[in-house]
Amino acid sequence: MDLETAKERAGPREFSPADDLPEEYRKAATRMIEFHANSEIMGAYLERPFIRQAPSIDRKLAFSAKVQDEIGHGQLLYRAAESLGVKTREEMLDDLANGDGKFLNCFHYPMESWVETPMIAFFVDGAAMRRQATLRRTSWEPYAHAMDKVCFEEGFHVKHGEDILAELMSGSKKEQQLTQEAFEEWWPRIIQFFGPTDDKSTHHDFAASVGLKQQSNDQLRNAFLDQYIPKARKYGLEIPDEPRIRERDDGTYEVEEDDLDWDEFFTIAKNDYEPGLDQINGRKAAQEAVQWVRDTIEGDASAAGGHAPQAAD
Amino acid sequence: MAASLENPDELDERERTALKTLLKRLADDEFVLAERYTEWQVRAPSLESDLALANNAQDELGHARLWYDVLGDVGLEERDLVYERDPGDFRHSTLVELPFEEGDWADAVLRSYLYDVAEDLRLEALVDSTHPKIADRVGKIRSEEEYHLEHAQNWLERLADGGEGRERLQDALDRLFPYAFTLFEPCAPPRGANEASGDEPRAVDPDVEDDIVDLGLRDATLEEMGEEWLSIVVPYLESLDLELPVDGRADDGADEFEFEVTEAMLPEERGRDGTHTDAWFDLYDEFTHTYRELERTETTRIMDKPE
Repeated sequence: MDLETAKERAGPREFSPADDLPEEYRKAATRMIEFHANSEIMGAYLERPFIRQAPSIDRKLAFSAKVQDEIGHGQLLYRAAESLGVKTREEMLDDLANGDGKFLNCFHYPMESWVETPMIAFFVDGAAMRRQATLRRTSWEPYAHAMDKVCFEEGFHVKHGEDILAELMSGSKKEQQLTQEAFEEWWPRIIQFFGPTDDKSTHHDFAASVGLKQQSNDQLRNAFLDQYIPKARKYGLEIPDEPRIRERDDGTYEVEEDDLDWDEFFTIAKNDYEPGLDQINGRKAAQEAVQWVRDTIEGDASAAGGHAPQAAD
Repeated sequence: MAASLENPDELDERERTALKTLLKRLADDEFVLAERYTEWQVRAPSLESDLALANNAQDELGHARLWYDVLGDVGLEERDLVYERDPGDFRHSTLVELPFEEGDWADAVLRSYLYDVAEDLRLEALVDSTHPKIADRVGKIRSEEEYHLEHAQNWLERLADGGEGRERLQDALDRLFPYAFTLFEPCAPPRGANEASGDEPRAVDPDVEDDIVDLGLRDATLEEMGEEWLSIVVPYLESLDLELPVDGRADDGADEFEFEVTEAMLPEERGRDGTHTDAWFDLYDEFTHTYRELERTETTRIMDKPE
């Protein structure tokens, strides 16, 4: 299939591994899904210490289950990416370890305290939900299919995050204050989650033209702000003065781009942000430490715990 | 069979102490092991093994939750049992508190195996417990533990097959085996029970262990379970070409196993008597960190109390 035909046919769940797709499509889809899969892994990496630090057994169980779900999402997504025939899962995981794999800006920042957990589990996951819900209509069918399960489980994660936020914001003065401080620190990063405004986004046009991406950065950011500004206020959080956000007459929001640190954002996008590098390298060290296990079981991939390269679905 | 110990209000001091001692060793083992297992989340050799071990961690945590909940009948809440408890009052075996060296997957699977065999025997001895809540909860727990044992054996067999895997298993076995014996060590009574003083480590009170069996809370002694454990793990590990530091055989080559644990075979810290390794105190600080930092006074329940 040539690119023009792909663009004409592009629609929800239109393409599967049975289609002979142009290289441009397969590469763009791989880049997008790999980014998504990597983000699941690095998000899980960031949250894992809070399984231990959770202040009750029930919270601990919920956190462990959430981290496990995210690894499961990574597994599904790598599979959806692999089925494009561009890169294997091993290559993607190795690239992630080596600092070549890209992932969400928010997961480059360290997370040090329990009061920060809802910033990821409620706001970032809530933002991700917006995007993921639209991806159930993406043109690469295995990706859309993976989104069905991911969205279902993410719904629970956002509730878990919201519950932690509600608890903190109805707790002691100290808890409320620490949570507000964490919110102020994370809020600009959360706004940047959606990337630069449409006129500055590099990959959007092509991804939209072949039906991979369903909504633009601006549309998604608007939908998120529309839903989450009232929620943040409901729990007693004050929206920081910056970045300045103006509500337009039509109910959409205009974010003052100059109030956001785009140098930092693009440094992160290149995997050059120092604290984020610690996380990338920490995960790399963990992966290298169990290389001997993978070497030992190589050629023994049929037993539980091993993995053969996935055949195309 | 001894009379049912159903009504917590009718328990005398001896019965209460026996019940608390039994439940604390059950719950603490599961809780602390789960805490260690979660260290492997996002660090296991593959995404698949990551998911599998996370599953086991959550099962063990769920079991700890079930056992701690039974202690609610004698007035102990989660905060008393976990978040505000003196770390020296925990009664888990030191096998479960040892940290994992980064990447030491051989330790993880061997430790699971040694523990899960013991756990299986212990649960079997609780099926007919005179405490109805204990007997009721054993069924659900056993069905999950069975899978854990399979998982551990599956991995052991694969690692034992290759050069480096076998070497690492042998190292782990030499290190862990003495700690595994502490699974069958008697407990010191809980703080405040009987004549126990506040001195630490507190003297082990073998009467409590006898009471647990005499009252029918559990129908096998620690020694009986230890013997059976040896008769399972020794031949199995030998079949993987691993050398046992001690095999417990009654006579050379005999199939009879005696559980005679001498002082020399045991590690210095045994857990059951309130002595713990330094790693335990670090672990305790980490899992109580948020609770202390936020000056919490109670723990959050998000699921219904178990039935």
